[in-house]
Amino acid sequence: MSDNSSGKENWKKGVEKLLKGDKAESLNRQSPEGFEIQALYDSEDVSNRNVDPGYPGEFPFTRGPYSSMYTQRPWTIRQYAGFSTAEESNKFYRQALEKGQKGLSVAFDLATHRGYDSDHPRVVGDVGKAGVAIDSVEDMKILFDGIPLDKMSVSMTMNGAVIPIMAAYIVAAEEQGVSTEQLSGTIQNDILKEFMVRNTYIYPPQESMRLVSDIIEYTSEKMPRFNSISISGYHMQEAGADSALELAFTLADGLEYVKTAVESGLDVDAFAPRLSFFFAIGMNFLMEVSKLRAARTLWAELMKEHFEPKNQKSLMLRTHCQTSGWSLTAQDPLNNVVRTTIEAMAAVLGGTQSLHTNSYDEAISLPTETSSRIARNTQTIIQEETDITHTVDPLGGSYAIESMTHDLKEKAKTIINEVMEMGGMAKAIEEGYPKQKIEEAAAIKQAGIDKGDITIVGVNKYVNEKEDPVDILDIDNTGVRDGQVDLIDEIKAKRDKVATKEALLAITEAARSGEGNILDLAVEATRKRATVGEISTALEQAWGRHTATNQTIKGVYESVYKSDKGYQEIKSKIDAFSEEEGRRPRILVVKMGQDGHDRGAKVVATAFADMGFDVDVGPLFSTPDEAAKQAIENDVHVIGVSTLAAGHKTLIPDLVKILKKEEAGDIIIVAGGVIPVQDYDFLYEAGVSAIFGPGTNIPKAASKVIDEIRAQKA
Amino acid sequence: MTIDELAKGVQEGKRRHLAKAITLVESNREADQQTAQELISKVRSSKETIRVGISGVPGVGKSTFIEALGNLLIEEGLKVAVLAVDPSSPATGGSILGDKTRMETLSSKDEAFIRPSPTSGTLGGVAKRTRESMMLCEAAGYDVILVETVGVGQSEFEVASMVDCFLVLMLPGAGDSLQGIKRGIMEIIDILVINKADGDQEKMAKNAVTEYQNAFHLLTPKYDGIGVEFLTVSSIKKKRIDEAWEKIQGFISALKEKGIFEAQRKEQELNWFKRLVEDEVLRRLWGSETNKEKAAELVEQIKKGEITPVKAAYDFLSSEISR
Ligand code: B12
Ligand SMILES: Nc1nc2c(ncn2[C@@H]2O[C@H](COP(=O)(O)OP(=O)(O)OP(=O)(O)O)[C@@H](O)[C@H]2O)c(=O)[nH]1
Ligand SMILES: [Mg+2]
Repeated sequence: MSDNSSGKENWKKGVEKLLKGDKAESLNRQSPEGFEIQALYDSEDVSNRNVDPGYPGEFPFTRGPYSSMYTQRPWTIRQYAGFSTAEESNKFYRQALEKGQKGLSVAFDLATHRGYDSDHPRVVGDVGKAGVAIDSVEDMKILFDGIPLDKMSVSMTMNGAVIPIMAAYIVAAEEQGVSTEQLSGTIQNDILKEFMVRNTYIYPPQESMRLVSDIIEYTSEKMPRFNSISISGYHMQEAGADSALELAFTLADGLEYVKTAVESGLDVDAFAPRLSFFFAIGMNFLMEVSKLRAARTLWAELMKEHFEPKNQKSLMLRTHCQTSGWSLTAQDPLNNVVRTTIEAMAAVLGGTQSLHTNSYDEAISLPTETSSRIARNTQTIIQEETDITHTVDPLGGSYAIESMTHDLKEKAKTIINEVMEMGGMAKAIEEGYPKQKIEEAAAIKQAGIDKGDITIVGVNKYVNEKEDPVDILDIDNTGVRDGQVDLIDEIKAKRDKVATKEALLAITEAARSGEGNILDLAVEATRKRATVGEISTALEQAWGRHTATNQTIKGVYESVYKSDKGYQEIKSKIDAFSEEEGRRPRILVVKMGQDGHDRGAKVVATAFADMGFDVDVGPLFSTPDEAAKQAIENDVHVIGVSTLAAGHKTLIPDLVKILKKEEAGDIIIVAGGVIPVQDYDFLYEAGVSAIFGPGTNIPKAASKVIDEIRAQKA
Repeated sequence: MTIDELAKGVQEGKRRHLAKAITLVESNREADQQTAQELISKVRSSKETIRVGISGVPGVGKSTFIEALGNLLIEEGLKVAVLAVDPSSPATGGSILGDKTRMETLSSKDEAFIRPSPTSGTLGGVAKRTRESMMLCEAAGYDVILVETVGVGQSEFEVASMVDCFLVLMLPGAGDSLQGIKRGIMEIIDILVINKADGDQEKMAKNAVTEYQNAFHLLTPKYDGIGVEFLTVSSIKKKRIDEAWEKIQGFISALKEKGIFEAQRKEQELNWFKRLVEDEVLRRLWGSETNKEKAAELVEQIKKGEITPVKAAYDFLSSEISR
């Protein structure tokens, strides 16, 4: 120890000489997670923290859940994809499988996510847009046509409409001649994080938890190779959470699910080995590597402490990872290939079991053939051209990684304890605690970027002056919808009406009484050709649809930005406007259709309010009619439509039409979010005054909005 | 839009016009204030309406209760206007208004008009704008006006002074909240509703009613022969919302039978007139430049001990009583 400390003293002296008088400690940084990142870690840091990473495949699995890890078999390349019709998506899957992809991962459209059939009036802008439209088992059969479900592991991101989708998958397999025992893959089935950040819930929390536990029960009996849940932190990070919040809330969600299943009478070892996890991997390379290692360690410890399983596998955290889409930019998009590579490396060095890498056009539209190829090859190159897979946990034992793994784990533990004190994650979510934490983190991050404290190349530094537009995948959503509606009509005409109705009634009854397994009943109804929407409605009849309590925060954005001169100037400009106008500029920030991306809308709303706007926030999932009505009643100057799921070309023109009809054509419309430049002219012509894409500097946008109101009045 | 067009639109019940009219009433511009008065005199209606104030601590479920009650009223064929007043003026910047997200169904109905109002820096405070907005809603044909206000500052008292029926929502768990109850609030309550009587809180809510009943027993009633009404509801599960409406109607009929209803509205107007005069006098008194100077001078003298406060006050008042 003494040798070491004299070494450290010398190092400090060396640094201080280079710093010309500043302390060596001045190079340490505070991480957003709330602990110190040291400029140097040494063996003493590791021994002080009492860290012993042990061996891969052994408790607490810090170095990996399996002993051989990638030296025997690399991680699974599992690209998340889905768009348009089942036919189109099927074609895309088959191509990808030929080109080195190993497992499937289905992205459903938002209508399906929210339990609406394609013919529902609330989803006109959503069908086939941000995922594949699945209305019935017939669509599901087409989706997996020519893909043997006994061999292919299939992951499905489904939470809200998890019951009819699982049922459709099971029945599609059955009609392929594949039994439930043979099915392998993962259903996301993680409803808690939907209430926090992903927003594709349907029923109230308690009732939704019943579905989670029915699925765990069903799969533990009948689908031994299937992961019954994918406990996801990914969406939390994408919504704004730092690594500690992501880690803590995810593991706390996990504990809540285990508790629910155990309380419903299952033995922990009957299902815990089939729990899987899902994390996002952002640009903080060392932190992300540490996060995966900390996650495994902490989960093993927590499970042991709370549930004392007998099977070692119940302690083992296995995870899928996805590189961060939020870190990718619409500006100079080829930079995103570099970002994704760095993130993929972190995921792999952290020991993930499967991985999705994003496409460079992530912030522009759904991936094209070219961009998906590059994304997939990012992984095949790491797997097959580098030596990274030849050594298990190659960063294990690094002073920095081991120390950060420990510090992050401790930080997460503190947050989990807070959650436990509130009565667990379900209670904490009810009180809005995690959502608020995440939204605050998102606002702080946005302010940091707008102010220039956080660098994003191509956005707030080293900007490429002349951008070439990239090709985009544009989906003709009216075409898809018409086709889907025809198919629904056909199915409904052919089936045995009485039998379908009875099967649906049985579901409603089971939902009311609390008896029976709802997935079991849904499989029966699906065999009778009940649609996804009908099964969802059957449950809705018993439980109703959940509406979220929209929380708002204030002052967080400004707290970062206050000292900035430019920011103060915008504030004065807004104050001057208010003085003249007799009231503050008033804006309705609205989300239309089933698009649940609310990070941007929330950040813009809170920042605009901090700068001096009166901001009305509309509920999620508004129709253009509802948005117009609210704008008119509140007499706003401006409607700010935040749109990320590609509904803009349908929904915004509708909104304009309705406003005109209501003699409110003078309300200004601005749009923000993921809107490809190819659509700008279309929107301007439709009546949009200004468009703010990804990477928008919010104070500048506010200033522009004021100018637009002034211009309108002139 | 001319003032006549605006007035006509309001009377025809046009949403756009009503909204614009409220903006006018809320405006801080002096010129708008005059136009607003003109407008209000043009549209004054004698329609029979019910004005209900709904108050309670933040998060008690006011908006959720209004969502449930409003929908019920619409089912009964009534038109409902909701004015949501947020008296917490932010230290800096504007307000962020999310009430409508908790009134999702109601806000999409044709028979409902909902207007949340920020109050930062308005002339005349909560009372002025809300009272006038209420009249505009009545002129536009709304039968029931619900005014939501958080129990902060003076806003509850102001709202209570402009409605026919003042309803306060409370949380289950009375023992604790009885102590937390603000002074003077108990005296102005007409109906006390314990919200969130669902799940494991149902029993607690029932007990709370008994405790409140005992506590209120000691008070002199606000009106002779009309006692405070109590009940428990679950706004989220829509339980006993119909009873809440029956109680409101019962209360209103009782006021009418005793001839209090009209008298109270008249009295509210007279008080309002006095209040306005007082406010305006004060505004002019402290707003005039010469007065400001004189006052500053006297303040300095008081600080230095050269003059007693009483003498200073007399000096001030005799030197300048503005027009
Ligand atoms: C974060 C994110 C998520 C998070 C959302 C968390 C949340 N609560 O918001 C999670 C992980 C849950 C998610 C899920 C999905 N996502 Co997503 N997601 C993103 C991502 C990576 C970033 C969006 C973001 O929040 N950026 C940060 C915010 C601050 O930026 P912003 O919203 O763009 O806002 C800025 C400007 O646009 C502007 N602005 C925006 N609105 C307004 C309004 C006004 C008034 C003004 C002035 C300015 C303004 O100012 C803001 C500040 O700069 C984008 C890709 C990307 N990089 O943009 C994909 C993306 C939007 N997602 C996509 C998809 C498909 C989905 C899913 C539907 C996938 C599926 N099939 O299951 C799901 C479903 C989600 C749902 N319920 O709708 C697609 C949409 C495809 C399309 N448009 O064609 C995208 C584009 C990715 C892609 N290329 O495939 N996602
Ligand atoms: N369990 C239960 N929760 C309720 C009930 N009514 C409202 N809530 C919940 O309480 C929270 C606050 O409800 P709001 O209606 O927004 O309360 P509010 O009093 O209008 O709040 P502010 O406008 O912020 O002062 C929300 O999460 C509601 O879902 C109820 O009857 N039972
Ligand atoms: Mg409210």
